[in-house]
Amino acid sequence: MKSIRLLGALFACSSLTAPALAAEPAAVVKTYADLAEAVYSDSLSTARSLREAVGALTASPSAETLAAARAAWLAARVPYQQSEAWRFGNPIVDDWEGKVNAWPLDEGLIDYVDASYGESEENPLYTLNVIAHPEFSIAGTEIDAAEITPALIGETLHEADGIEANVASGYHAVEFLLWGQDLNGVEAGSGDRPWTDYAQGEACTNGNCDRRAAYLTAATDLLISDLEYIVAQWAEDGEARKAVTEDPQAGLTAMLTGMGSLSYGEQAGERMKLGLMLHDPEEEHDCFSDNTHNSHYYDGLGIRNVYLGSYARVDGSVLSGPSLSELVAAADPAVDAQLKAELDASVEKLAALKARADSGEMAYDQMLAPGNAEGEALIMGAVDALVTQTASIERAMNVLGLTKVEFEGSDSLDNPNAVFQ
Amino acid sequence: MRHILAFLLLAGLPAPAFADVGAAVDRRILPAYEGFATAAEALAAEAGTTCDPEALRPPFNAAWDAWMQASHLHLGPSEEKGRALAILFWPDPKGLGGRAQRALLTGDPAALEPEAFAGQSVAARGLAGLERLLYPSSPPEADACPLIRATTQDLARLAQELVAGWEGPEGFAQNLLTAGEPGNTRYLAPGEAVQALFTQLVAGIEFQADQRLGRPLGTKDRPRPERAEARASERSLRNLTLALKALREMAVTLDGTAARTASAFDRAIEAAEALEDPTFAGVASAEERPKIEELQRLIRQIRRTALDEMPPTLGVTAGFNSQDGD
Repeated sequence: MKSIRLLGALFACSSLTAPALAAEPAAVVKTYADLAEAVYSDSLSTARSLREAVGALTASPSAETLAAARAAWLAARVPYQQSEAWRFGNPIVDDWEGKVNAWPLDEGLIDYVDASYGESEENPLYTLNVIAHPEFSIAGTEIDAAEITPALIGETLHEADGIEANVASGYHAVEFLLWGQDLNGVEAGSGDRPWTDYAQGEACTNGNCDRRAAYLTAATDLLISDLEYIVAQWAEDGEARKAVTEDPQAGLTAMLTGMGSLSYGEQAGERMKLGLMLHDPEEEHDCFSDNTHNSHYYDGLGIRNVYLGSYARVDGSVLSGPSLSELVAAADPAVDAQLKAELDASVEKLAALKARADSGEMAYDQMLAPGNAEGEALIMGAVDALVTQTASIERAMNVLGLTKVEFEGSDSLDNPNAVFQ
Repeated sequence: MRHILAFLLLAGLPAPAFADVGAAVDRRILPAYEGFATAAEALAAEAGTTCDPEALRPPFNAAWDAWMQASHLHLGPSEEKGRALAILFWPDPKGLGGRAQRALLTGDPAALEPEAFAGQSVAARGLAGLERLLYPSSPPEADACPLIRATTQDLARLAQELVAGWEGPEGFAQNLLTAGEPGNTRYLAPGEAVQALFTQLVAGIEFQADQRLGRPLGTKDRPRPERAEARASERSLRNLTLALKALREMAVTLDGTAARTASAFDRAIEAAEALEDPTFAGVASAEERPKIEELQRLIRQIRRTALDEMPPTLGVTAGFNSQDGD
């Protein structure tokens, strides 16, 4: 590393606008861990607010308490989406993430669905409807679901039968229970679950309102305990924090790997371009609530937060510290300047998409419609910006002498004999 | 080595000149796209004279064979306008392709006009879409001929656009060949072009192990033979073998000294060719499954060897690829 720093210093001296004192890797990864603790703590506190709103909804169901629960869910997504920049690059986060943010889901597993939902060739539990059935079998095993508990959801139902689309827990399960299916296709409008789905007694619509309330409550409780776990991982002496701070080079690699993997493969590819090429509104990330534009925007913001070492908390305060940007600038000011400009550009493109959706004139699912040139341009503008910044994230890795982290830790890879055991 | 590389990049020097980007472009990439365009054109021409599945299967298989020479290249024109997705959309776990195709079969024929068809879901088009029409599991609900013709013409158009997008003075090949020269905003240093190609190689190897084999393998307790690619046309193993061979050529063209990587490829290709199981149905058999698991291990071993052996020669390591997400 010494040679790089020395050379970086030479560059810094020769450039017209010399950057501030070069940040130390140890200080940069500490900022990264502090930001992670803050963004997950905010996710937890907003999930607790959601839990209160869910409690009010189930205790006294009404249009108002349902609307308040939906508002609390939307607020909870703001910090959580920003945390996604910590996912790839940190195995502890990536291994955990599926519990809270798995998507897309075959929602017929959980509750009633419209006839248009159809059948699935791959998923025998496609229309299981746990809320309507206190007993059922999964892959030949009889399940007693008389009581819907966090354990039933997390340990028995989630990814049941080894099928990823059987998402029983997390934000999107709660989202489905609050909004219901979005049956508007590529037209305007989100899911429209009536509040009476939670009404008790004769007012109950679509049956089993008590079990629906129990599911919603248990799923929200499970979300909270899962978030408590991840906050602890980033707290002082937490394993995720230690993994990035005890070896700052590994921490820097995790930071850039998380930025690049989310920018390109996940956000630009899987979540945005694929949905557009399929013209499929179910490929929307927050499809029940029509919140996808916000989900994409805050993902983009999170990527920039990691680089700039700064995060605006839900209470309005700003947490910041020595940044990766300063470290890259010390090694190569041109790479830093370009990456910063490109991160700004992608946030700007995502903001344009968000503004169009927020205007009420074109929802994200409408942008996906075949032949909607304006929608396509808005989405592809953001996709292209995310792809462009990925190349500069690679440049930043190169100037810091880092290699993208690989944590494909399968048995067969690490232990050639394991497959024969 | 990393430090030396960083030094070279910082100092604006070219990366070590052991990576032959020019040969990779001229001898692998461009011929692959040209071969696919020729095969797709022949398929469309044949579909113009008959819609008999029996007659169309040979040119269909030839086109899919040809695509396997280029399918691992996720950069440039193949990534624009979703072309690679439209040529081969797989996996399709939610069965979107079949559903979208049924709507096209029974819907307004105007959707089959070339321009309108080009805007249809990628899941309904391409080789996987054509496979459902030429190897139907049940008789189609309506005359499939117009959809077969539209799909073959769309494939031929996509293939032509790929060739046009790569070749010529403005073609994407020039981006790779002039990396680091003034005016090239895509690749700011020669090493960036090398890294782009090496990334395709590594991601291509990963795809074979994780998707083509990983999906049908499932878990030991829950094998998923129904998830194999191209079961109807019995091309699952053939696609894998062809892709491995194309990736091998890419590797040794890029780095002629990568002997250990070439050997690792050879071991996997040999194992694939010894497998007498065109659709990986053996994943569910206690006797056959270990052979397929072993093939997957050998492919992962190629990746590990390539990541160990090639970066010092190439002066770069793998960058981000489209499979980095979920």
